Amino acid sequence: MRLKILTVDDSKTVRIIVKKSFKGFDCEIHEAQNGVEGLAMAAKVNPDIILLDITMPVMDGVEMLTKLKSDPQLKGIPVIMLTAEAGRENVMKIAKIGVRDYIVKPFKEDVLVDKVSRVVDLRPAGEAEPVQKKIDDPIDILVVDDKPAIIQQIKDGFGHTPWNVHGVASTGEAIDFCQKKLPDCIIISLSLSEDAAITLFRIIRSNAKTKYVPLFGLSVKTAVEEQARAQQAGFSTIIHKPIDFEDLETKIGKAVNLDASGKYFDMGEGFMTVKLPKSCNAAVVNEVSTYLKSKTSEAVNAGISKIIFDAQGVASLNMDLIKLLLHSMKTCRDLSLKYALTGNDVVIEESKKFEESKDWKFCDSLETAKASI
Amino acid sequence: MQQTFPITEVELEALAKNSIDSVFSTMLDRSASIKQVIKVEEDTNTEGMQLPVDANTPMIAGTVGFLGNLTGIIYIFMELPLAVEATCKLLDMEAHEISDDDHELVNDAIGELTNMIVGTFKNDLSNKGYECRMTIPSILRGSNFSIEPAEVAMRRIYKFDCDGRSFVIDVLMKEEN
Repeated sequence: MRLKILTVDDSKTVRIIVKKSFKGFDCEIHEAQNGVEGLAMAAKVNPDIILLDITMPVMDGVEMLTKLKSDPQLKGIPVIMLTAEAGRENVMKIAKIGVRDYIVKPFKEDVLVDKVSRVVDLRPAGEAEPVQKKIDDPIDILVVDDKPAIIQQIKDGFGHTPWNVHGVASTGEAIDFCQKKLPDCIIISLSLSEDAAITLFRIIRSNAKTKYVPLFGLSVKTAVEEQARAQQAGFSTIIHKPIDFEDLETKIGKAVNLDASGKYFDMGEGFMTVKLPKSCNAAVVNEVSTYLKSKTSEAVNAGISKIIFDAQGVASLNMDLIKLLLHSMKTCRDLSLKYALTGNDVVIEESKKFEESKDWKFCDSLETAKASI
Repeated sequence: MQQTFPITEVELEALAKNSIDSVFSTMLDRSASIKQVIKVEEDTNTEGMQLPVDANTPMIAGTVGFLGNLTGIIYIFMELPLAVEATCKLLDMEAHEISDDDHELVNDAIGELTNMIVGTFKNDLSNKGYECRMTIPSILRGSNFSIEPAEVAMRRIYKFDCDGRSFVIDVLMKEEN
């Protein structure tokens, strides 16, 4: 839902400046020229936030604020005073009535945006109803590291994907990059000098445009102090060097909310194939499970009634994977779908060691599996 | 008979300069410098004086008053081309988008600019212990303005230059008992 901002100011100029300031954000601006119009507009549109001038004809901002705070329907709306009159007396007076913040004119537009974004969830335009990107769509990853070799390593590591890896060496360059192009994900080396990674993290998180961009810290596993500082600052994910690219790809996919189902599910010729990857660790199994229900429904709706669980590429069978296959096969039986399993020698051998899978029948190729059902 | 005044000439000039610097740099990305200071006093300007700008240039004047320990009024006289440039910058518009008849747009922008300038001036006064409230801005248009001394108030004229264009701040102020 779009954010609603009400600007109450007798100056058309200020109302235009407010509109201009929020042009790049997903919000609608409502205007009123004085306190009376402001109260009426607040009752009509129920704004998420009000930007209120003090000195206005008909009804000034202080009176409007007092009336607003005494109205049970409107008193919860946060108000930021936008005024040319600072002064201790004024500030004390409006603080007592209850404002979230105040901005003294003259003001920079980014100060206004920053203050508003601290009170309400301000999102860049076009983000309200995002079209979910797929795992094979190009995304932009910004790597901030003063070691060119690491940047190159990450570029090479994602060479098989359509992802664009951009490397910069300093926080300044990173900020410049973000102003020109909003990356989908940022990886910051925690070993940048003078705690620059933490500083950059705070700058990115305090900016309305970049505050939702996933941030990963990059560190040598043994550098526990810098990792602790990063976690304390708010980094949610720390990637260890040497980098496990399969793991990093999964983490980025999740952080950027990429639809990764294409990696595992394939539909065609009356079959849905569930391709199980080489490493089926808990994270991968969890990811496959997330998509399983919706993909099975999609297959059924498309008239597909045969499913093949393809474990030919799997390096090793584990309990998580066995549980996933058990659950999937039960779903197939419940929905009267036909299914078959494929596997390599290792998988077949390991399946015999578990009570749950010892009776499973594997085909040695997709063609054989298709022919069997 | 003029009153003794609690603010010195140097302080008043600094107040005027700071309010212009703050608003011009923040809102217009421009700077301005004081070119002339004129004391308008009863004994030396009995007949009044011309505003220190070209008398034929059309001007726009924004006015905001303040009331409190110190009461006064501040006029910002601006050459019309500078006022249009300021409006364009404030509203992110091009000069050709503002027609000669579009008085309301320019008046409102200059009114708000004056409000901000006087607001900054007033806030600095407040920091010095002089609390006051501001009035709503009003606008005058014309040319060949003249200024007369006020019997019970201090009046100072500061002429500024902004990239070759002139504007004037006229401060009229008295201390309330």
